[in-house]
Amino acid sequence: MKTLVVALAIALLAGFSASPAYADDAQLPNVQLNADNGGGRPVEELTKKALARDYAKAWRALAQALEQNRADLIGNDFTGIAEEKYAAAVAGQAKAGLRTRYVDRGHKVDVLFYSPEGLSIELRDTAQLERQVLDGDKVIQSEQVTRHYIALMTPTEVRWKVRLLQEVPGQ
Amino acid sequence: MKNFTLGLLLIATCWFAAYAAHGAELKAPERIEAGAGLSISAGGNGEATLYLVGPAGAVKREIKLGGDIKIAPEEVQNAGKYVVMVRTGDSTSSASFWVMPAQPARMSFIARPSRLPVALSNGISGVVYPFDKFHNLIVQPQPVTFKLSVGEAQATSRTVTTRNGVAWISLDSSRKVGPAQFVATVGEVSERRVVQQMAADPCNLRIKAQPSKQGVEVETDLIRDCSGNPVPDGTIVTFTAVSPKGKSSVDARIKKGVAKTELPNLQEATISVASGVVMGNEIRWGGSR
Repeated sequence: MKTLVVALAIALLAGFSASPAYADDAQLPNVQLNADNGGGRPVEELTKKALARDYAKAWRALAQALEQNRADLIGNDFTGIAEEKYAAAVAGQAKAGLRTRYVDRGHKVDVLFYSPEGLSIELRDTAQLERQVLDGDKVIQSEQVTRHYIALMTPTEVRWKVRLLQEVPGQ
Repeated sequence: MKNFTLGLLLIATCWFAAYAAHGAELKAPERIEAGAGLSISAGGNGEATLYLVGPAGAVKREIKLGGDIKIAPEEVQNAGKYVVMVRTGDSTSSASFWVMPAQPARMSFIARPSRLPVALSNGISGVVYPFDKFHNLIVQPQPVTFKLSVGEAQATSRTVTTRNGVAWISLDSSRKVGPAQFVATVGEVSERRVVQQMAADPCNLRIKAQPSKQGVEVETDLIRDCSGNPVPDGTIVTFTAVSPKGKSSVDARIKKGVAKTELPNLQEATISVASGVVMGNEIRWGGSR
């Protein structure tokens, strides 16, 4: 009986210690990353995992920023021109009283190119999204879309950040 | 007769509804170039609300129907798919169009490393991402010319076509030391980087020895790499003497192309020389000399 209680306590403690990270990752969009056919240098397994995680975080941040009209949510996951463009977009739609809501249904991402010196990686993303444009609280447009994006990511001190996220026609 | 009249009325109502819907129809071009601006023809009359939803956000403004809707160049600078909607009362008409990147106006050119030894196979890499003036990545194939030159020597030049908006190349460093000019050109845009080419490891490292007041003076020949470039002054050369008394080493820096040192109190020894991973010749001093 005593052993059972101890085992239960350990299981509960393990559950508590794991729960914050799990909760954080649980809210991330699903990103399936394939690095088998890219050019340039090979992508190591750890890099793959980090890329998928950070790209998912970037999409979550973008969705939150555009829905809540909060440009301050952009900077953690975007850098350079992407950060500037999306911050300006948030400011622009906030000024017009608009919001954009993304319901993210997942991303299939292929690595196109990983530069030899490791400073940039190019991705092609096929994203399943539901996009709603709201004027105040009224939905003025809602559509289920399959969108294609080219993304450039760059390593920073502790994570990969999106330097460019550009929508492109499907192939 | 009554049924006939009702039927006519129904047809007229449907026709009117169809006409009204047709009147609000938007006609947009399929694609335009970034920053070009456009006009969208919109039927109907009265006032309406225009929404322009692009890849990076949305804008809204009031418009009057019955003419062309002008979309300003600064509203279509970001490449991607745009949806334009016109809302009158509870009805909404929409159209979509693509904004494609404009001509190359800048590039991101990553050249690595900043310095490297001469004659190193695939030692230099260059990566180019071409952008238009609105910072859109140009994904349509573009020829990019990479040129690498040192001094008056003939330049190495290669042209690579971008794929998915990127062109990259690996080049050998040349056999001559000095600042290599690494230039990438796409369209009318060029970017230059400098890659410092250094002498490689010493080649045919040789020493000679002669008696001195304190012991033995050991000196190298002029130290060059395998391409004949002088190894830079300051490079460390290690002299090692192994004698019955034990082993001793002296580090000396190259000065004016040679390195030398004095090994004191040396009667009988084997003297060798090395620099980095390169070993030179050995000299037997004293005894069996």
